[in-house]
Amino acid sequence: MTLLLDMVTTAAILFIVAAGLLAIFGVLKIINFAHGAWLTIGAYCAVATAGLGLNPWLALPIAFAVGAILGGITELVIVRPLYRRPLDAILATWGLGIVIGQLITLWFGRDVQFTPNLLSGTVDVFGVGYSLYRLFAVAAALVIGLAFTFLLEGTRLGLSAQAVIMNEMLARALGIDTARVRLATFMVGTGLAALAGVLLTPLTSVDPNMGVAWLIGSFMLVMVAGSSFSTLAIACLVFGGAQVLVSTFVSPIFGGITVAVLCALVLRISPKGFARA
Amino acid sequence: MHENRSTPARVWLFAALALAAAVIVIIGPALFDRFTLNVLTRSMIYAMLAVTVDILWGYTGILTFGQAAFFGTGAYASAMVLSHLGASPALMVLALALAIIVPVLLGAFVGWLSFGHGSTPLYATVISLVVPIVVTQLVFSGGVWTGSSSGLVGYSGLPLGLPGYFRLTGICLIVTAVVALVFTRSDAGKLLVAIRDNEARCAYLGLDPQRLKIVLTTILAGVAGIAGFLYANASGVVAPENTGFVFGTEIVIWTALGGRGTIIGPVIGAIGIDYLSAQLSGDLPFLWNLVVGALFVVMIILLPNGLAQLARMVLPRGNEQASPSGSPTLAAEPAGSGSEAGNRVLAVGGLGKSFGSLQVLQGIDLDVHPGELVSLVGPNGAGKTTLMRCLSDGTEATTGTVTIAGQDISGMTPDEIVALGVGRKFQVASVFDSLTVADCLRMARASRNAPSLLRRSATLGLPAAAADILRSTGLDRMLGRPVSLLSHGQKQSLELAMVVALEPKLILLDEPTAGLTKVERTTIGATLQKLTGELGFAAILVEHDLDFVRDISTRIVVLHQGKLVLDGSVDQVVNSEVVRTIYSGGAHA
Repeated sequence: MTLLLDMVTTAAILFIVAAGLLAIFGVLKIINFAHGAWLTIGAYCAVATAGLGLNPWLALPIAFAVGAILGGITELVIVRPLYRRPLDAILATWGLGIVIGQLITLWFGRDVQFTPNLLSGTVDVFGVGYSLYRLFAVAAALVIGLAFTFLLEGTRLGLSAQAVIMNEMLARALGIDTARVRLATFMVGTGLAALAGVLLTPLTSVDPNMGVAWLIGSFMLVMVAGSSFSTLAIACLVFGGAQVLVSTFVSPIFGGITVAVLCALVLRISPKGFARA
Repeated sequence: MHENRSTPARVWLFAALALAAAVIVIIGPALFDRFTLNVLTRSMIYAMLAVTVDILWGYTGILTFGQAAFFGTGAYASAMVLSHLGASPALMVLALALAIIVPVLLGAFVGWLSFGHGSTPLYATVISLVVPIVVTQLVFSGGVWTGSSSGLVGYSGLPLGLPGYFRLTGICLIVTAVVALVFTRSDAGKLLVAIRDNEARCAYLGLDPQRLKIVLTTILAGVAGIAGFLYANASGVVAPENTGFVFGTEIVIWTALGGRGTIIGPVIGAIGIDYLSAQLSGDLPFLWNLVVGALFVVMIILLPNGLAQLARMVLPRGNEQASPSGSPTLAAEPAGSGSEAGNRVLAVGGLGKSFGSLQVLQGIDLDVHPGELVSLVGPNGAGKTTLMRCLSDGTEATTGTVTIAGQDISGMTPDEIVALGVGRKFQVASVFDSLTVADCLRMARASRNAPSLLRRSATLGLPAAAADILRSTGLDRMLGRPVSLLSHGQKQSLELAMVVALEPKLILLDEPTAGLTKVERTTIGATLQKLTGELGFAAILVEHDLDFVRDISTRIVVLHQGKLVLDGSVDQVVNSEVVRTIYSGGAHA
């Protein structure tokens, strides 16, 4: 039972972390390698919120706003000239990630920081005590997933974004301001990444390089998922589940690379990943 | 990248540079203190890696973070032999051998994984991220064998001492850089740029870009392994960080800052940044990384070709344009055996192609004989281009058979079909924009005359038919000119010359005159008539301009809604009812 819960909650956490990256890759076809840095920014927003003595839950909106604003600046200055050079965009955003990591180090120091728990304690699930926070993560993942579905299906921005995904030239010819759609998408994606950073704080230690560890896993999941949130959810369940199984029954060290290796194999067999249909 | 013509002056300059570098390496131990020697030894090993990344990324266009994995594998293979078995001369040889063999095997596997059929450039980058992560985790889980997270330390290496290691790595770096420079400037080295520019065109010139990339990955994995062996010996310690993807990104950063596609730039970038890091990181550790990171971002956006590009802008140098000594002269190549008249070059039976439930082509039967110029006409969406694709790629057709020179092509890849004698000219001129006219044509001959790995030929051997096209279009006076400076019509003519230089039995031309002037059109028409009428090539031409078709064709085939509705002589087709109906209201009928 615990195993099953572990699988689901791991998948949920992976989903939360990868969602921001997917939003950006799905619409812009740009891989934001500074994604890890935004997770870190979010986590440090939680640190700063706690430092100011505010309610730890306030960190969520603050992180989203900070992440989105910084993301907006990034899109305008760094990403915009690179849409035609996607491989260079990977490099430039990676370099930006280094810069952000060093700035955080200069500001907060390189030591591990601690944040107050958002939710503590355990709860009984079918007679097994289980971490309340991990269960909350499942709920958070569902909220993010549903909110995104609504954003894509139910709003003007979402429709424009879908149009840009399908046929950018046509979208532009129809009068959609693709530059604005891109800016908005990038801001949503980076805001989400920062939000995910806050949600990660109770689960991992907070230090200036914490994001890098999460970057590759999310990157691989997004490669497999393509541009759809539902396929991302499936990918997270499959590969997150596999990760828990390997960690439990083989070795935690191999568990850490399960997602990356399995995703690479899936992409080898089917270059479009799970997004075939 | 930028066509550095191997004018003698340039060769001398490189030789002088290499010599100067060698002198510094030899007398270095007398000039530098211990700290500097130590750091520079490490920097020079890193510079070797930067050279390999430059060949893969700067020249061939494969962004890779995986060189760190090969480097780490080589370092660990050496360190494991030296710590667990010992450091006798025989074991030292074993360590070196394993430091090469293990990365080479890994490289071959990674290459096969990255560049299999249908893989995207992004996928190769993805794999190059996964491999270092996997290797690092293997090191962590290796227990006493790999020293896990603390790495291996305290083994004895080559008995050289600090000055000795400095000289050894210096010489290895110079050899690596010189070999890389000679190779990338040779005829064969232009293949890398051709692959980067236009991989599909490479395949349709009978080359196998996938295989070339796998070979390249394998060889450069071995070079990274040698660097790993040097590192394991010189530093006396190997750690998991040496194999990781973060290290892989650092190599890419050095390469980018130094200037991709120049070999020397990445060498200077790696040595400069690593050396400065060691000097400055004591005083301002985070600030330095901040500066490097910020510089890197700015560089990628504004100066994608790195400091070398800046140097090129600041230092005026010999004109990069066609210099007389740089452009090769045409040489006649003996014509291959012509195809025997009478035999069918192409036989198509019951060919069909569908996308899902949409039937694009069905029941196509068509024979083409040597010397025929068959025009394929029909309204937009009739399936003309699809038919051409089915004739040049054996994996395209859904049903039926295509036989070329007596051989069924089903399942064959484009380069294998080129080997059977099919040349395809695309609708949009498909050439190599970063190469010169002569280099493009040499690519077309590369599958026949293996290009030199060392030299840049002074002559360009072409079959007479291809040389004629160059002369009639004036391209023969522009052999040294970069393709990016050609006009649209010149590019079309160049591509036609490239296809003819393959000496195909059958040429497929998809609207070769689209967007050309009247004069250019007449020249191409005359060329095609000569190729088929006098030289015995067979050609299939997709064309919209019925007047043009009427003037030059020996036969016309009409395609309508995926079916072949008419196949006959020019007069039969032009005067037929069917054509009038299909084109009813059209200007031509």
